[in-house]
Amino acid sequence: MGRVKPIQELKRLAREPLLLTCIILVMASLFVFIVYPLFQIGRTSFFSVDGSFSVAAYKRILSGGNLLTALTNSLVLAFIVSILSTIIAYIFAYTIAYINVPLKKLFNGIAILPVISPPFVIALSAILLFGRQGFISNHLLGLQNANIYGLNGLILVQTLTYFPIAFLVLAGLLRSISPALEEASENLGASKLKTFISVTLPLSTPGIANAYLLVFIQSLADFGNPMTIGGNYTTVAREIYLQAVGSYDMQAGASLAMLLLTITMVVYAIQKFWVGKRSYVTVTGKPTSGRKLIDSGWLKHMMFGICFSLSVTVILFYILVPIGSFIQLWGINNSFTLDHYKYVFNLGQKAIVDTFTLSLIATPIAGLLGMIIAFLIVRKNFIGKKTMELVSMLSIAIPGTVLGIAYILSFNKAPLALTGTAVIIIAAFVVRAVPVGIRSGIASLQQIDPSIEEASTNLGANQSQTFFGIVLPLIKPAFFSGLVYSFVKSMTAMSAVIFLISARYNLITASILSQVESGRIGVASAYCTILIIIMIISLLILNGMLRLFGGEYDKKTKKTTNNPAGQKPLSM
Amino acid sequence: MKKTRLVLIYVLLAAFLVACGSSGTGSSSGKVTVYVGFQEDHAVAAMEQFTEDTGIEVDMIRMSAGEILAKVRAEKDNPQADIWYGGPADTFVQAVEEGLLQSYHSPEAEKIDPRFKDEDGYWTGIYVGALGFASNKDFLDQHGLEAPTKWEDLLHPAFENEIVMAHPGSSGTAYTILYTVLKVFGGEDAGFDYLHKLHPQVQQYTTSGSAPGRMVGMGEAAVGLLFAHDIIKYQEEGFDSLILTIPEDGTGYETGAVAIIDGAPQSELAQKFIDWSLGTSAQEVGQRTGSYQNLTNPDAKEPEKAVRLEDINTIEYDPAEAGSQRSRLIDKWDNEVNN
Repeated sequence: MGRVKPIQELKRLAREPLLLTCIILVMASLFVFIVYPLFQIGRTSFFSVDGSFSVAAYKRILSGGNLLTALTNSLVLAFIVSILSTIIAYIFAYTIAYINVPLKKLFNGIAILPVISPPFVIALSAILLFGRQGFISNHLLGLQNANIYGLNGLILVQTLTYFPIAFLVLAGLLRSISPALEEASENLGASKLKTFISVTLPLSTPGIANAYLLVFIQSLADFGNPMTIGGNYTTVAREIYLQAVGSYDMQAGASLAMLLLTITMVVYAIQKFWVGKRSYVTVTGKPTSGRKLIDSGWLKHMMFGICFSLSVTVILFYILVPIGSFIQLWGINNSFTLDHYKYVFNLGQKAIVDTFTLSLIATPIAGLLGMIIAFLIVRKNFIGKKTMELVSMLSIAIPGTVLGIAYILSFNKAPLALTGTAVIIIAAFVVRAVPVGIRSGIASLQQIDPSIEEASTNLGANQSQTFFGIVLPLIKPAFFSGLVYSFVKSMTAMSAVIFLISARYNLITASILSQVESGRIGVASAYCTILIIIMIISLLILNGMLRLFGGEYDKKTKKTTNNPAGQKPLSM
Repeated sequence: MKKTRLVLIYVLLAAFLVACGSSGTGSSSGKVTVYVGFQEDHAVAAMEQFTEDTGIEVDMIRMSAGEILAKVRAEKDNPQADIWYGGPADTFVQAVEEGLLQSYHSPEAEKIDPRFKDEDGYWTGIYVGALGFASNKDFLDQHGLEAPTKWEDLLHPAFENEIVMAHPGSSGTAYTILYTVLKVFGGEDAGFDYLHKLHPQVQQYTTSGSAPGRMVGMGEAAVGLLFAHDIIKYQEEGFDSLILTIPEDGTGYETGAVAIIDGAPQSELAQKFIDWSLGTSAQEVGQRTGSYQNLTNPDAKEPEKAVRLEDINTIEYDPAEAGSQRSRLIDKWDNEVNN
């Protein structure tokens, strides 16, 4: 890059005021809501309460003891969980995209189900199924001393909780892989296995890497499950919470968070380097339909078997929640009751309305922001692009608990006195949700040849028209999965917002946690059932919107394919 | 397409403006904002009673005592709430030391026993509750054991990995246990010696102080250490296998307190709230929602099911001392015992 380049860049940007404004706005929000709070946490970790510089907290962690154990425990857990989750998610995504099996809709739904529920519900169901008095462990297997608390329980619960995140990434990606290459491979005489290993798998590596990365970091930062089922297997996010809230040792909590952050950044860098070496431009503007599905053989039966038994397991975990909401006292007094719902409607109305409203505001912001940032990162060149990418992805590496405390530390004084307001909760929702949108946006965009956008620009469209008319429709699956994820993530957010809720804005998850803590599983289940119903209805509406936009998209692509510009051959 | 885009942009803009607007006009007048430390059903019933008695509207949120302290501390420069209602006085003492509370001598506080209030008026006790052991009847029957009645009983080999208590860092209950043990065993060294021996017996340190009651009720563990009034509440909710015993060699108790947060936006209403919370109407709300603590107002009708402090062997529990030692003792416990 010569010296002249940046100046040309600036000139070009000056001709695109919308793009410039957009970049500045995105940068400013990233700075205020991610960089600045992180800086505050970093500062807290290096300065003791009296204001003097000190590395005592780091020394304390690294010299061993329970803080170091928590860190290594979390790494072991995350390593195992992200491998299992990615494998399961790939099996699901592959089966749905490549194999002609019955019950596809069910599998699709099942794979997404765990994501629309607050994490600790699965943990609670795990206790009910596999605990001392558990339905399976005690009644079916007759075990006396089943112990679900600890590493095994966490692996089970986290895998079930986080494989859908991997699935959302992988499903979108596998769906958008063009069958042309695989057909070519088979036409050239390669076996199905060979085609899978040398064509499909390499094409899906970016997705696999993204899925693994996402799950790894989610597992490291998980707060709800370790709180419920971790037992004495201490993990780092819980320890951060206990340090910050319990021992009031903000410095230790912040230092632990900084170490965690470093680990996740390293993981991210490795993944980035590994993924970055692969090329995966496979899509023109054509709709990717018409794959010949695998319709027979042992593979079909095996994959169907795996998906089916996993689905049954997940259903088992979820069926307990609505059932539990109608039962007086699980395992002790199994009579039918509506008391739990009465309780929720008497006490929990405000939390339900607040959660729904705030999530609804955060969803489009996070969804659109994700796509805009992905677009800027993949397609545009500007000063600070690397920073934007790094910072926007960094937010996924901030444990929710720390983000919450960081927000309180950062936004309590003028000019940014946001504590107690809706803005701070919405900001936390968006920051927590947007990386997934960016990831899937980037993964989709990298598969789309930029020549289509260039054609649009050459035909006289401006940046905004190109983005909304060409880019967004092309990466529509990523955009909508980003929207869905943002909504779901916001509705079920807990770790970050547990510090941000106020007397004016309360959230369902906080109410559920409080019920879980005091042992009212029935009321917690009722809250969860209502939460899940709200989310299902909302997702159906979102899905309806997808169809609406989808109609436009089909018409457009038909036009595009008739247009010679759209038939530009693949450039590999 | 163009239209949809415009609509989308307007919706986003509107949403943003609404969000900003609500933050700008947030400090609604005439409403008192309360952080509540006891259970949610009790809290909601109490707030309804307050509005009924005084006509003043309330915004409230329930958190555990540790969370409230963390929140109040974080909001120090821009206080969002007026009142901290409920939770062990130890935590309040720590808040006083950090200058987070505001002194107020309520006329209603005069009736209250000096043991249960701060002499400088920073906090006032609203209820008192003793620690107890919650044992699972089925487990005891299976192993031919009696419910533990002494702290030493918990070291019985049959209870290895069968005891649950909360983590003293996050839970006021668990810190009360820690401090009580030091008092019962007559000193910090002897107390920590016992805690070392207790550690292998403990299956799990929960975050919430009352969770051990549920775990024992569901048969997940044999014995739980928590407040007697929480154990009674679980029994009332239908956990029939729970047995409540009070350690005969001495037990500690919490003084649930109420205080005005320093810099409270509605300090006048806050004072009215304190007056109300010490009166009989407020104190009698708990028993209607199954919370059977002892009450600090001598005129209030004590719940019949409450464990009376006069009937049991309590230690001298000084919230001021317990509060000032809190950080140090929790750190020590974390470093030496929970390793």
